[in-house]
Amino acid sequence: MNASVLDKYELVVGLEVHVQLATQTKAFCSDAVSFGDDANTHTSVVSLAHPGTLPRLNEKQIEYAVRLGLALGCEIDRESRFDRKNYFYADLPKGYQTTQDARPIAIGGEMTILGNKKIRLHHIHMEEDAGKSIHDLDPNLSMIDLNRAGTPLLEIVTEPDFRSAEEVEAFMYQMRQLVRYLEVSDGNMEQGSMRCDCNVSVRLKGAKEFGERCEVKNMNSMKFAKMAINYEFRRQIQLLEQGDVVLRNTLNFNPQTGITTPLRSKEDAHDYRYFPDLDQLPVHISKEFVNTIKEQLPQLPWELKETFQKKYGLSSYNATLLTEEKGAAYYFLELAEQDFTNYKSIANLMINKIMPWAKEQQQKVVDFVLSPTDCLSFLELIDKQLVNNSTAYQKLWPELIKQKGQYETPLALAEKLDLIQKSDSSAVESIVAEILTAHPQKVDAYKKGKKGLIGFFMGDFMKKTKGKYNPKEAQQLLVKALSK
Amino acid sequence: MKTSQSLAAIRSEIKAGNLTMVQIVNEYLNNIEFTKELNLYVEVYRDEVLEKAEALDLKIKKSPNSLGKAWGMVVSLKDVIAYKGHKMTAGSKILKDYVAPYHSTVAERLVNEDAIIIGRVNCDEFAMGSSNERSVYGVSCNALNKELVPGGSSGASASSVQADTCLISLGSDTGGSVRQPASFCGVTGVKPSYGRISRHGLIAYASSFDQIGVLGHQVEDISIALEVISGSDEYDVTASKREVPAYSQPLESGNKKIAIFKSAIENEGIDPEIKEETLKFIEKLKSQGHQIELLDFEYFDYVIPAYYVMTTAEASSNLARFDGIRYGHRTETSGSLTEMYANSRTEGFGEEVQARILLGTYVLSAGYYDSYFGKAQKIRRIIRDRLIDVLNDFDFIGLPTSPMPAWKIGSIVDDPVQNYLADIYTVLANLAGLPAASIPLKNHSNGSGIGFQVMAGKFKEHELLSFLGTI
Repeated sequence: MNASVLDKYELVVGLEVHVQLATQTKAFCSDAVSFGDDANTHTSVVSLAHPGTLPRLNEKQIEYAVRLGLALGCEIDRESRFDRKNYFYADLPKGYQTTQDARPIAIGGEMTILGNKKIRLHHIHMEEDAGKSIHDLDPNLSMIDLNRAGTPLLEIVTEPDFRSAEEVEAFMYQMRQLVRYLEVSDGNMEQGSMRCDCNVSVRLKGAKEFGERCEVKNMNSMKFAKMAINYEFRRQIQLLEQGDVVLRNTLNFNPQTGITTPLRSKEDAHDYRYFPDLDQLPVHISKEFVNTIKEQLPQLPWELKETFQKKYGLSSYNATLLTEEKGAAYYFLELAEQDFTNYKSIANLMINKIMPWAKEQQQKVVDFVLSPTDCLSFLELIDKQLVNNSTAYQKLWPELIKQKGQYETPLALAEKLDLIQKSDSSAVESIVAEILTAHPQKVDAYKKGKKGLIGFFMGDFMKKTKGKYNPKEAQQLLVKALSK
Repeated sequence: MKTSQSLAAIRSEIKAGNLTMVQIVNEYLNNIEFTKELNLYVEVYRDEVLEKAEALDLKIKKSPNSLGKAWGMVVSLKDVIAYKGHKMTAGSKILKDYVAPYHSTVAERLVNEDAIIIGRVNCDEFAMGSSNERSVYGVSCNALNKELVPGGSSGASASSVQADTCLISLGSDTGGSVRQPASFCGVTGVKPSYGRISRHGLIAYASSFDQIGVLGHQVEDISIALEVISGSDEYDVTASKREVPAYSQPLESGNKKIAIFKSAIENEGIDPEIKEETLKFIEKLKSQGHQIELLDFEYFDYVIPAYYVMTTAEASSNLARFDGIRYGHRTETSGSLTEMYANSRTEGFGEEVQARILLGTYVLSAGYYDSYFGKAQKIRRIIRDRLIDVLNDFDFIGLPTSPMPAWKIGSIVDDPVQNYLADIYTVLANLAGLPAASIPLKNHSNGSGIGFQVMAGKFKEHELLSFLGTI
């Protein structure tokens, strides 16, 4: 299809994002939530839906839902309730999923992506995850692992506000960043802690009505979601261009082939027969509870980015890097809120040294080996020209880490390693005099106008002093002596 | 009255040294043997209960001060209540050989207070039925007259008490399943307020209606059992946190104001003998000094439809877990996953259960929700509000437990409407979540018992039990 055809159409996408909550235990029983354990080892009688068992609400999920809802500007329904979504599947032990339909916990809200694009949210609701069906372990049998069954999820349902796959990608990354900031989920897409269903439709540019949509299920990689959306965009346009119609199907995306295939059609769509889960009480949330959570909300990544640029004068690029993870952003704040005000040098140290260290060591930034005080003392050595910049980063920094605990202060270590730039003028003067005496012809040549020889004198100076003296000062003295 | 029919008598005989727990348990076991043809027990824990009786005898001798609140009480459990390590099948093929891996809260509390659970009694499959004719184990008979049904769904529970095979039986009551069999079998049955007793370990039929109930000969004994099993439970959030009064210590019960629903007695469908006995009993209450007032209750026509819409809807979802995958019956036939479900469930569930699942699935279907479930919820609210209004002005509401006496086994099993109408007076209490009891009047000429039902305000079990103890 050529670009001019594609260009006639507009892509419209809405998302249903599933976020697995980082609670210790499941939504309605005390089984541990864990990833990667032996199959069916976190399966109490409740997880297995034994007859006579009842749900016990894990209140942590309420707290997490309210936290995310408030961060996204949603209205919290203080009398939400759980419903049952009835369908049969082998990894759904009760024969229904406990979810929220009529009264979800958070309504409305929005998130701004890519600087100024607002994505409106329809609502956020709580629900439980199903188990896992594994169809490829045995040629004849399907295997069921119910460790995941009953894990608490939040489902964030957006309005159909996306107009490109890039916007979807940006939204998902920002959502992941947010849930990590809020510490409600680990946001690991590879492990399935975050996944989304994409409702994709196309329409002619300028059209008022939406086109018929297809839902691509269960995307747990941003790359694949983008591929799937772009594939659907072209597929649906092709259908319309051929004079066909788009059928409202639920689709599966195969990353190997890069194409979508129907899972079920509208006619086969389940009738989920939602109705209230009467084994549970309405989720009553007090005003005080909401207020407490509001007060305890951390600064959000986009708020911090603005602070970093406006208050600390960082570039947009650096501010983005520093706010990517909450740990790094807060560490920067900790450093920046001391007396040392060269914020750009703090940002550089974090971006070039501390964050790469955390990544290599698979540690948190906040657990960086050197104390914030030592980091700032290090930067101060450079700022006060006590150690020159390259020496500081190349020689002093590695030693500070290596010899941690064996020195009082970075200054003390720099002194011990003889890295302090000397600025003892009389000593420098005598070395300068010594150099000039040793090269009378070059001094003459300089005086006659070969000013480039200053480089030669400086080189000799550096060689003799092994870089211990402040080169700026040395140059000034040399120039002064040569112009006598 | 026989010793085996009163806890006070059992305890005093034991304390006097005239009786041991082993003896009383043996008496019940013998009665179970003698009444085998009634088909009451699905399983008797013979060896186990004798051991427990022996251990209790030792405890009575050695540390009489540490005896639990329910000591001396021998209990039968309806086949829908979990007793760890014992089978629980809900009278259904689909749970054939299922062993409960955990204790229901009620069983645990009883055992902790030194009650002895003697066995598991039959019931209608998944507690759906009014005659105990719908169990995979076959029909149970009424101990008053073995030609008659014992009522249902806790029919064998009521009959096991009447047959003197236990002191107390625990049943479950979703629409009258404790009170109606109590009336048919001539014993007392109490269904407490919704939320008074934890449902943890009770196989769910309709979550917002189900309540465990107690059957016995003596109000006193029922009160003790209720005191033991009631109260909040971390495993059931719908169980009330309200403190449990000492039901075993009756309140001073003076003259009461009792509302009688006129239409319940004047209803042309009511059995004439039941009507006569009910009127006689009302006269007796008057003569005891209680204040009786006849009231209209305009909603009887809506009671059964609202009840069946809501309970079948809930049941269709509650019974979805019986799919043959993790436990219970799985079909031998091969096929797709959907076929496996369909075959396992078709083979495993009886006809009545299938009918109710289908009905419930239908009323929840897209496009029908508002006209059925939604409307039934509204009717339920209206009925509850009306009953609460009445109970703001009166201490109790009195009405027959059932409009008909126990019928001959097999006589109406194929007439669902007749079967469903048998619940009309008992369903009220479940729709409103109120406590209600059936106490035995004189027997019917056909041999059935006749019960009189007393309903009280929410969580007024103490007042209700105290009153029952005086009449």
